[in-house]
Amino acid sequence: MTRQVALILCVLAGAAGQERSNWWSLKPLARPPVPAVAGRLSRTPIDAFLQQQHAARGLKPAGTADRRTLIRRLSYDLHGLPPEPAEIERFVADPAPDAWERLVDRLLASPRYGERWARHWLDVAHYGESHGYDKDKPRRAAWPYRDYVIRSLNQDTPYTRFVQEQIAGDVMFPDDPQGVVATGFLAAGPWDFVGHVELREGTLDKNITRLLDRDDMLATTMSTFTSMTVHCARCHDHKFDPITQEDYYSLQAVFAGVDRAERPYDASAEVYRERRPLLEQRRALLGSLEPLRAIAAGVAGPQIQQLDARIRELRRNKAPREEMEAAAAERRRMVHERLEPRTRVKLESLESELAWVEGLLGGLPRPAMVYGAANVFETQGSFAPAWSPRPVFLLHRGSVESPGKAVGAGALAAVAGIEARFRLPEGHPEGARRAALAAWITDPRNPLPWRSIVNRVWHYHFGAGLVDTPNDFGRMGSPPTHPELLDWLAVEFREGLGGSLKKLHRLILTTDAWHRASPDHAANRVVDADNRYLWRMNRTRLDAESLRDAVLAASGNLDLTMGGPSVEQFDFKDDHSPHYDYARFDVTSPAARRRSIYRFLVRSVPDPFMESLDCPDASLAAPRRTTTLTALQALALLNDPFMVSQAEVFARRLESMTPARAGRVRHAYLLALGRAPRSGESAAMVEYARRHGLANACRLLFNSNEFFFVD
Amino acid sequence: MNRREWLWECGGGLGGIALAHMLGAEGLLAQPAAGGAPTGGLHHPARARRVVQLFMSGAASQVDTFDYKPELIRRSGEKFDPGGKVELFQSMPGPIMKSPWKWRQHGECGKWVSSLVPHLAACVDEMAFVHSMISNSNVHGPATFLQNTGFVLPGFPAMGAWISYGLGSMNENLPTFVVLPDTRGYAPNGAANWSAGFLPASHQGTRIRAGAPRPIHDLFPPETARYITPAGEAEGRRLLERMNRDHMAARADDSRLEARVRAYEMAARLQLSAPEVLDISGETQATRGLYGLDDPVTADFGRRCLMARRLLERGVRFVQVWSGADNGHPRRNWDSHEDIAKDHGEMGAGMDRPAAALIRDLKARGLLEDTIVYWTTEFGRMPCSQGSKGRDHNPFAFTSWLAGGGIRGGVSYGASDEWSYKAVDRPAYCYDVHATVLDLLGIHHERLAVLHNGIQRRLTDVHGHVIGEIQRSPRRPA
Repeated sequence: MTRQVALILCVLAGAAGQERSNWWSLKPLARPPVPAVAGRLSRTPIDAFLQQQHAARGLKPAGTADRRTLIRRLSYDLHGLPPEPAEIERFVADPAPDAWERLVDRLLASPRYGERWARHWLDVAHYGESHGYDKDKPRRAAWPYRDYVIRSLNQDTPYTRFVQEQIAGDVMFPDDPQGVVATGFLAAGPWDFVGHVELREGTLDKNITRLLDRDDMLATTMSTFTSMTVHCARCHDHKFDPITQEDYYSLQAVFAGVDRAERPYDASAEVYRERRPLLEQRRALLGSLEPLRAIAAGVAGPQIQQLDARIRELRRNKAPREEMEAAAAERRRMVHERLEPRTRVKLESLESELAWVEGLLGGLPRPAMVYGAANVFETQGSFAPAWSPRPVFLLHRGSVESPGKAVGAGALAAVAGIEARFRLPEGHPEGARRAALAAWITDPRNPLPWRSIVNRVWHYHFGAGLVDTPNDFGRMGSPPTHPELLDWLAVEFREGLGGSLKKLHRLILTTDAWHRASPDHAANRVVDADNRYLWRMNRTRLDAESLRDAVLAASGNLDLTMGGPSVEQFDFKDDHSPHYDYARFDVTSPAARRRSIYRFLVRSVPDPFMESLDCPDASLAAPRRTTTLTALQALALLNDPFMVSQAEVFARRLESMTPARAGRVRHAYLLALGRAPRSGESAAMVEYARRHGLANACRLLFNSNEFFFVD
Repeated sequence: MNRREWLWECGGGLGGIALAHMLGAEGLLAQPAAGGAPTGGLHHPARARRVVQLFMSGAASQVDTFDYKPELIRRSGEKFDPGGKVELFQSMPGPIMKSPWKWRQHGECGKWVSSLVPHLAACVDEMAFVHSMISNSNVHGPATFLQNTGFVLPGFPAMGAWISYGLGSMNENLPTFVVLPDTRGYAPNGAANWSAGFLPASHQGTRIRAGAPRPIHDLFPPETARYITPAGEAEGRRLLERMNRDHMAARADDSRLEARVRAYEMAARLQLSAPEVLDISGETQATRGLYGLDDPVTADFGRRCLMARRLLERGVRFVQVWSGADNGHPRRNWDSHEDIAKDHGEMGAGMDRPAAALIRDLKARGLLEDTIVYWTTEFGRMPCSQGSKGRDHNPFAFTSWLAGGGIRGGVSYGASDEWSYKAVDRPAYCYDVHATVLDLLGIHHERLAVLHNGIQRRLTDVHGHVIGEIQRSPRRPA
């Protein structure tokens, strides 16, 4: 190569590198100055950033919405529920200058807040409670993770800690049993039962199953916390973003020691502090025992065969337990006699140590179980724990048939200033890898998680993010409409607000922007039809859960019990492939009255009612929901047994409130729509109720656009 | 909300307005739909307007139906040694096992077909076989996803959803994509097989439970709700519309509000049209006989094939009919690990006559011309035995066939080896068949794409070659 060519190549490489680190989402975070805006004073720094764009584009921002609109908007935003009529009246009449701030604080302090916002988080984590695929078994121990998310939001766990717990809570916060529960995040996605349990170890399809399982874990982690589409680099370097195949396989290596399985924890931290070291000892013993047990399992001979035949017969005849145990002990003795002495001594000493540890564990209160990321669990078929992280190779074109070089744990090299290849000591436990990734993500020098989370929160408050692709901050995603505002929010959240989501909500909810009405403005529409510059508030359609909960709330039928096992709103029949039948569920049973976040979420057969309302498939991350308005959705809202029955319950509630039909209609409007009917409306509805019954009138209110949309 | 999103939401909402209509409305569609067949198509002139997919769940054996291998008959009982390591799903490979059915040549094309499917054998001159199909998975769940969505992972839109999204409805009173599952239950993956994935929910398959008292979910209120009466419904619809119009008056620029009013109108029309299409009592005795409704062996699949014809006739774009439920015991799908003669015998007898009837009936009504019949399964079965009478999974070779709508009849494309163990000649994947079907519908498979979480997603992933050899008049690439 001539010197000149080499020089050109260097320049080109340098240019490419520079261009890559210049990508907006990867640039280091710095707090931009708040723009000085002429004229009207901005209520918050956020408004100053927005106002600057209004001025630059000649947009005339809308005025403030009325209080009745604001409280309904706020209630659905923070709680996913309509405000009570009395609350509305109190707020509308509250003369105090801080009436709004007090209202916001009160709603943020309510446990309903965590229930509402946890649903957003579970969308992103694609949390489901069955495996998906063929043989879609229920995960009856998944719910503690859902409760963990609700509790964390209600307690306002600082974001750094919230992130770390979900990736490596079990190792970073070893004394807190909730650290174990939090790993439910890594296990939230689908799992191929047949691939893991039934395929033999060492087969190609087994390796593919495992590759795809890790792919889901790392894609979920990176999309959720960094908004990067790392999973695009499985088969080749990312086509659009500075993510290499080596980055990708380094992330596969992070999760190479864990699987999705049930693992024990304790409600009491004290008990857990006793249990944890024992569990660790047990795991170490099981790991050392495994090769020895394999040797013992291979021991055979005519006497053992004879004994095995006897054991089979005892089992067939359902012999007493003592007899069975004696036979098993006899078998063990025979096997051990035939082992090489050194192996035998080692095996027996480890087995007795294990028995001792098991005894101690048995003396503790029975643990609770959570479906999480686990490095030890009961073997099921060919699904067995990895005693040390499984080796990971860079796969040519993503094919398990073409492994390249071995790859250690790491993250994205394109994030400047943080070591992307984790330096871990030889023989480190698998948890160290996850802890290293959690540390890499939450490193204050990493700009991605901060931009990512403030954008998500913005998205849920306004119906669109400053970046309207919340899971993709790469080249295929959208650029931010207000890059300085995004950075200001990210830095403010990380530093000023100490990672408190509740403080971030409060900041956003007290802006002028969030308070605007949503009127039309022809000239504004010409400039910004999509309202990307927030010259008004976006009108939103209720999501599936809010609609269902609002119906229960209006009919006075909402059971606010928090947490615990999910309510199964279907008829379940276990089988080779379990059956989930929603048509046979009794919609008048108590299980129908819980908040929607407590529904049991089946992957293969989603609830058709919720599905018609765009409740997302728990198989893929849903950082934003599609909203449709379809004929089948109309039929569901009109005719679904749940809706039909709730309309009757609502009518009975109204009947118990007041004797006159007009009064009942008035209450119906207040409860469902948050306002009294106008006189013409009242007359028409009273007449309809007279001719066809109050329940039918209630049904109409539940189907009205005013009920379904929030101004 | 930007314009694209508006179209997305409202296009989804109106059902009839899909991508083709949107592009047409914006003047982006080069050739607007002309009267008569073939229609405009999304990217080029279409040669077919609708599709009916027959899905054999559990893995239908190619070596017992359409992939004739005299070598298996000659060497039945010998050790199976195709060279190289044979890795099976459940078992160790047993000896070579010939099919329990007899083979004979049929039709003008002289196609060898087994006696398991005599009625389909009589249609071979309409059918194009792809004998070199390969699956990327030998596990039912992922493989069934693959044939439906082009991905082994859950969460992606089904073929019918993509086609609904791309072409929209031909009858605003009926759903665009309809699914008729086996009455014994769902196939592996359940309803996720006909999901709209990340496309708007309006494109998901609408399930019709044939023969059930309530075949379409929530089409009507439950009978137990006595308070709902026809008179109350009619009056209620009017009042609801008035309420919505009042609400809209001050929000005139928000087209979603109007779209929702339209959705309720369409719902009312669906209530009128759906019962008619599902009511097969008006079909003649001859038609009922053709589909085998008089025989308990064929009645179930026959009824669903007949319903499929009625739906297609009325403009439903994509109908999926399942033969086979989940992988339970006793066997209720094609997953014949234990006893191919018994279990394939039952499944084959139940499927053969109705499937052939569908081809013949569509043809008699002039519908076969622009309706693609697409028969598939998730993978094939092994030429060697499992146990002594069953066959294990074979992802390396299986057969799909197509007929009608621009398909060249009486041809076979690709081939498996002498055992039907591995595809050797022109290996084909679902991507290729999907691309071929889309091509006939006037869709370029690489251009029907949606950006989702940073990736341009399409039915054919990053693959797909249109198989011109099985098309009557292959389109020359522009």
